Amino acid sequence: MNSAPAQEFLRRAAERAADLTHRQMLRAGMDHYQANFAKGRGRFADWEAARQRCHEIKWEGVNHLDKYLLEFEARVKERGGRVFWAENSEEARNYVVNLAASRGVRRVVKSKSMVTEEIHLSPALEKAGMEVFETDLGEFIVQLRNEPPYHIVMPAMHLTHAQIAKLFHEKLSDVAGDDPVSLVAAARQALRRAFFSAEMGISGANFLVADSGLVAITTNEGNGRLCVSLPRIQVAVTGIEKVIPRLRDLAVLWPTLATAGTGQAITTYNTLVGGPRRPGEPDGPEEFHVILLDNGRSELLADAEQRDVLYCIRCGACLNTCPVFRAIGGHSYGTTYPGPIGSVLAPHLRGPEFAHLSYASSLCGACTDICPVKVDLHHHLLHNRRNAVNAGRGRFGERLGFKLWRWAMAGARRFELVGGVVRATLRALYALGLEGTALDPARAWTRNHAAPAIPRASFRKLWREKNGAR
Amino acid sequence: MAPAENPSRERILERIRTALESAAPRRQPAGPPGARQIFPPVGDVLERFKAECKANLTEVIVTHGSEGSATAIQGVLASLPEGEIYVQDAPEFRSVAQAWPGRELRWSSEGGPREASQAALTLAEGLAAATGSILVSCSTGGRGASVVAPCHIVLARFEQLMPDLEAVLGYAHEKGIAAHNSFVGLITGTSRTADIQRVLVIGAHGPRRVVVVLQAGN
Repeated sequence: MNSAPAQEFLRRAAERAADLTHRQMLRAGMDHYQANFAKGRGRFADWEAARQRCHEIKWEGVNHLDKYLLEFEARVKERGGRVFWAENSEEARNYVVNLAASRGVRRVVKSKSMVTEEIHLSPALEKAGMEVFETDLGEFIVQLRNEPPYHIVMPAMHLTHAQIAKLFHEKLSDVAGDDPVSLVAAARQALRRAFFSAEMGISGANFLVADSGLVAITTNEGNGRLCVSLPRIQVAVTGIEKVIPRLRDLAVLWPTLATAGTGQAITTYNTLVGGPRRPGEPDGPEEFHVILLDNGRSELLADAEQRDVLYCIRCGACLNTCPVFRAIGGHSYGTTYPGPIGSVLAPHLRGPEFAHLSYASSLCGACTDICPVKVDLHHHLLHNRRNAVNAGRGRFGERLGFKLWRWAMAGARRFELVGGVVRATLRALYALGLEGTALDPARAWTRNHAAPAIPRASFRKLWREKNGAR
Repeated sequence: MAPAENPSRERILERIRTALESAAPRRQPAGPPGARQIFPPVGDVLERFKAECKANLTEVIVTHGSEGSATAIQGVLASLPEGEIYVQDAPEFRSVAQAWPGRELRWSSEGGPREASQAALTLAEGLAAATGSILVSCSTGGRGASVVAPCHIVLARFEQLMPDLEAVLGYAHEKGIAAHNSFVGLITGTSRTADIQRVLVIGAHGPRRVVVVLQAGN
């Protein structure tokens, strides 16, 4: 695990974990989420039944993906929309950039979409000479700072109110005050101009509804609905795994997504769009395009063991509960999707050099327990570790250590012998004052923590001394 | 789009079909088998709707007959700043519009709402009591009606009040609302954000005020 991304991850994680102000911000955000989530979950008669139902809906969609994607495509076409299938990021980007260029687009408004982050769409549009406005407030803030989203649902949660006020005063006109109400009003005003002048609106999709040919978009601010209402061209960029069979499935998916994401009973705006404006409709786009992105998803689909990763509805709950994310934050991961889901996805979407992220976990299982679609996240982190080792990507020291451990575990005498050697070695090293140095085999722990007291004998021997022979 | 213009389509579908030749397990429920109630019973739909709307900051005015609704709407309009009102072109509003003297009206038949609109006045496709939600579509004023103006006033009838999302979405599917509109949307409360250090601010991009005038009788 010595790839450049792994080294960069360790550097950033160490830096962030030591930044107490950052950790305080994170903790406050996560505590706020946990309180809201507990309240939201309490509104369900049976939260576990909701998780099970959502799992079954996504199971059905993903395990009949060809059938439901074709049904969705047929319905969208009936509605006058266009569907483009993209194998990878480049193909998806090129389609959108070429479409925009051919239609004379100069200004683009975007609602929050992790898939467009995944394919790096905004830089490509900007390179082609277009102005791109992120319209979700959190995304707008991080765009002004020229940095990626910090969290799937709360892109600017790492920033203080004062930092955002300073940023707005530097970058925006007409900022009346430093309070959140004034700052939101300033952003609203700036983005209104963009909404009413943009020729293209780009969104992601929370779900694709096969039986109706509708793209479901969920927002609290209303920016998603403005993106699909005002510009003359609408584009939805989405992963192929987002398809669900029926419109009625949203009756449980929408509330469950909202509760897992923010603790709300349901998000304010749940928008369904399925084509360009029809004759007689007062407004809406003249063109409607859906880009179905593969980008490694079909390879993940082929892995029956990890297929359920494709059920993910990007609620961010696994991030919020993960003790590692709570210590190092979103930017440390260096991937579009941070936290447990990102760590599971990264080797599949970004390649084996991102296998190190599967080790950034205590394997406590909190992510699996909270996941509203029951993705077996912590076991998938183990699967990724196994796959990386089988592919020869394990560290030499780790491989040696596990070989020794396996040998020792195969017999009680061996175990006692190895235990005795390890205790004696550590005792000698620590007596020489080498605790936490490069010579300390427990350095990963002792460089930041005091070493625990080393027992004078093995557990078996201590037991025998206390309780006599068996 | 012709297959020749999008060769990736067949390649992706082929990969999907090959991938699905191996079956993936479906996780079983943790508890005892059988149908389990996901949401608590709704109870009295009107009382539940009012309670949920109060929680999500939607105002509800219950009226009796069209005259009562016209008076209620007039009262809300009187509380708003001067300026244009965007109105769904529907007989319910045409018949009472003369009662709003001095108000510049933009009817949905003239196009979508303008940036300067002070309020949008529309009908609803349905209401969900369990979440305090309003179902709208292109047929109820268009896409922008529910989100452009700072105030959205919705005239709905008691008969449109349904227990929950399951009922509302089933209704939208069965009655062809989803099929015959390019947009269908659910609104649950006012536009909001908590992106600045978790402080809730109302009116991020959409309405700061949502009012449901719920009419009993004709």
